[in-house]
Amino acid sequence: MAASATYEVKNEYGEVINTSTGLSNKKLLMWAFLGSDVMFFGSFIATFLVYRNRSLVGPYPADVLDIPITSVSTFVLLMSSLAMVLALSYIQQGRQKLGTFWIFSVVVLGAIFLLFQVYEFNHFVHLGLTPRTNLFGTTFFILTGLHGAHVTLGVLWLMFLGFGSLKGTLRADNAIDLELAGLYWHFVDIVWIVIFTVIYLISARDVAPPGSPPFVGH
Amino acid sequence: MANFFNKLLYHDGRGWWDLPRTQWQDPNPEMEGPFGDGIIPIKKAWDFLTAASYHHGTPLFYVVVGVILSIITIVEVWAFNWLFLGGLLIPLMLVLSLGKFVLVVGFFMHLKFDRKYYAWIFTACMVVGIALFVALLLLLEFGHQVQQ
Amino acid sequence: MRLPRIFPRPTSEHGIWSWVSTVDHKRIGTLYAVTSFLWFLVGGVEALLMRLQLSQADSTLIDPETFNQLFTMHGTTMVFLVVMPLSAAFFNWLVPLQIGARDVAFPRLNALSYWIFLFGSLFLNFSWVVGDAPNGGWFGYAPNSHVAYNPTDGMTYWVIGLNILGVASIAAGLNFIVTILNMRAPGMTLTKMPVFTWMTFVTSVLIVLALPVLTVALIQLQVDRLYGTNFYNSAAGGDPVLWQHVFWLFGHPEVYILILPAMGIVSEILPVFSRKPLFGYSFLVFAGVAIGFMGWFVWSHHMFTVGLGPAANSAFAISTMAIAIPTGVKIFNWLGTMWGGSIRFSTAMLFAISFIAMFTIGGLSGVMHASVPTDAQQQDTYFVVAHFHYVLFGGAIMAIFGGIYFWWPKATGYMLSEGWGKANWLIMLIGFNLQFAPQHWLGLDGMPRRVFTYAENMGWENTNMYASAGGFLMALGVLLFIINVFYSARKRVPAGDDPWDGRTLEWTMSSPPPHYNFATIPVVEHRDDFWFKKYPETIAEYYHDDHAGELTAPSGAQFDDDVDMAEDEHAEAHASDHHGDDDHGHGDIHLPDMSYYPFILALGLTIVGAGLMTIIPVIIIGTIVLLWGLIGWSMEPVNDPAPDGAAHGH
Repeated sequence: MAASATYEVKNEYGEVINTSTGLSNKKLLMWAFLGSDVMFFGSFIATFLVYRNRSLVGPYPADVLDIPITSVSTFVLLMSSLAMVLALSYIQQGRQKLGTFWIFSVVVLGAIFLLFQVYEFNHFVHLGLTPRTNLFGTTFFILTGLHGAHVTLGVLWLMFLGFGSLKGTLRADNAIDLELAGLYWHFVDIVWIVIFTVIYLISARDVAPPGSPPFVGH
Repeated sequence: MANFFNKLLYHDGRGWWDLPRTQWQDPNPEMEGPFGDGIIPIKKAWDFLTAASYHHGTPLFYVVVGVILSIITIVEVWAFNWLFLGGLLIPLMLVLSLGKFVLVVGFFMHLKFDRKYYAWIFTACMVVGIALFVALLLLLEFGHQVQQ
Repeated sequence: MRLPRIFPRPTSEHGIWSWVSTVDHKRIGTLYAVTSFLWFLVGGVEALLMRLQLSQADSTLIDPETFNQLFTMHGTTMVFLVVMPLSAAFFNWLVPLQIGARDVAFPRLNALSYWIFLFGSLFLNFSWVVGDAPNGGWFGYAPNSHVAYNPTDGMTYWVIGLNILGVASIAAGLNFIVTILNMRAPGMTLTKMPVFTWMTFVTSVLIVLALPVLTVALIQLQVDRLYGTNFYNSAAGGDPVLWQHVFWLFGHPEVYILILPAMGIVSEILPVFSRKPLFGYSFLVFAGVAIGFMGWFVWSHHMFTVGLGPAANSAFAISTMAIAIPTGVKIFNWLGTMWGGSIRFSTAMLFAISFIAMFTIGGLSGVMHASVPTDAQQQDTYFVVAHFHYVLFGGAIMAIFGGIYFWWPKATGYMLSEGWGKANWLIMLIGFNLQFAPQHWLGLDGMPRRVFTYAENMGWENTNMYASAGGFLMALGVLLFIINVFYSARKRVPAGDDPWDGRTLEWTMSSPPPHYNFATIPVVEHRDDFWFKKYPETIAEYYHDDHAGELTAPSGAQFDDDVDMAEDEHAEAHASDHHGDDDHGHGDIHLPDMSYYPFILALGLTIVGAGLMTIIPVIIIGTIVLLWGLIGWSMEPVNDPAPDGAAHGH
């Protein structure tokens, strides 16, 4: 090898990535960040599981959780992930209009998911479950609330990118920006897959633990 | 008999599990191994779905993955409501959700198609996280019982 | 798409605005160093006040409440505002120089980390100004930190301040992971990286994975305190022991975050002043990685007296004893490095040697804690205080001072005085041992930690008086360092490029380095590449003959993992295209332009944090500033085209 100062590697977007591993800096950063976020949500999910069945007063999960409604919102979030991957695929192929359409579909589906969450929170408060009521309320609202905050951030980010795509500043050659947002969005989706399993599918039949009074409502 | 097993399990002295995995690594397009030629139509279908470019699937492929994800979700909700599994509920739900998780991470996040480095990073973080939090849960559960 | 600019893009290279808008890793490193040294003085004054109070029995100099605040803020300051950012200063200064890069992977993110750190530390210490400093210990144990038992705002400042600082640490950790993986010079495979860079990498991984756990614990405590949730409210069934678990899940990796950079610094100093390569490089690196991994699974040894049951206690006792093995490996590597070397006792070397000695003492008392029955006697006594000061001051701070003496000539271009330096080292070492060695005895005699005074008839007065005298001797040592800095700045003995006969890439460039670092990116062939290029005749001496030929081969790829093979493929495939760059020198070096947005973004984040103390309008103002910074940042190109079309930035 001659004593060359630099060497160039181009990634799939044709941008020069002058890196030792041949990987894009941004994408590596994103994956490392997602690894970090694994620990963030992992801690909250572990807290939820530790406090499962340890509420002293109602309402308990079986009194409030509504599987059909949440399955619909889960489906909406899964479909938004599908829309996201289609958006990336089309933007990468240079099919700008289709790509823009799917980006805004993600935004809309994400917003619908958030509306479901707002409805659910309101509904629970009406049923007498607030973050202050019991351990279930505390862990449920903080975990799903922080997930909702992640979704909100993703919706804003994608809206920003969607307008970029409309104006033509997000194109096939800098679709890496969309890919990063997509990685984030899919990660939020898999976190919801875990939350849906842990809170809803596994805990939804939890009633008052032995020795605690059953919940009779207000 | 030994010859049969040699043909079944080995190709040029390498186990079929040891053959190059992907088309562009594969110097010999002829498929050998436990499924013999039978795998070729499946592989063609896979290529049709995924070979839009080096590292991405086609839109149709993603739609298929999306449909599978929806079906798993429906199965989960159905099993939760109409199957009375008792103690089997939690393992079943965990397995189904793991399937969804792997589909999204592998195909929507392109880990299956992308450089293995990203998969390593994410898997390492997942392993540390899961090991740690399972240890924590065991510890709290265990300490609880000792106190009683 | 371009937003209207309120400020023009900064271009000035002098004055305060050049520092506010800088994205140069060396300037950011300097900012980190100066800021955290100032916090070191603040934390030191807090310690001295406590020593003054404890120097006599039944002292009434400081009331108990203030004493609580002092030990809480001393611990928090020294961990989060001193040792971590001082290490970050070394990361910033050295990692790009050691791996042959012109900057870190994300220069603006790097600046953001610093500004968040600065504002977060100011926010945390603002609690002194309002008179409600945190008072629940640096570990903030629930339910003592709960609003029912701790109604003042102090712990709220602590929670929000640490969360802000956590953002800074995670951003910096991510940045250095990407930098070290992706920005290495051609030929610098992972197994040829300097050990300091390796330890930075392990530390960054630990930061990225451990800090989120702290963030979660703090968020839980914060919503408990501010919004009345039940995470740690035992009246509603909450489990305060969970706080201890979550905190130490973060807290034990944290102690390795503090000590691994120090180990890296020492691993750079010892070979240079022994004129020998590091003994057992692979073992040393692997031991560092093993410490980083095993450090996750020892956390409950902080909780042996909680009552986790014999099985859990035994498991964590075993894992804690096991983690002493890689640590011991490192100590023997350092001793083996010095063995048979022609040792020069410069100030940096003296600090490094005293690091080994002091860290070994602290490590030995640490292994004593791994034994559960012994730990039950030592829990919450001054023995524990003595132990962790031996590893954190005798270990981390000693190594950091050694690193300052070692790299000061490179950073500034002139030498620090060796005479003042040796006085500094001697006074500091004596003072340190005078202060903390007696605390072992105090602890075994039963003197509890975190108690503001003790009775006259306990027989602890003399020993405490020695310890306090030692504390002031240490302060004198730090004063000598400050005097040394001013004295040397006035004398300005020029350092030259390579004052210590160094081994790694940072000594190849001028002192101080030009802002583009390397006019030509070097091609690396060996570990200690610079040394073997200076003294090629020593290659055969230090490597077996059958390896020597390979090591002199240009690509030297026998240790490569698959990533580095890919690198070499790319290097070979594309090397021929870019010979032109050599001839141009630094004429076509593109450095990222300066930017105000990291500063603005960090400011917005801190204002939002301040507003979380239930002041809604402040949150709104903070969000506006935050969005301004965020949108401005993402709209701003990394390099602005200059008006005349020529690239600028240097």
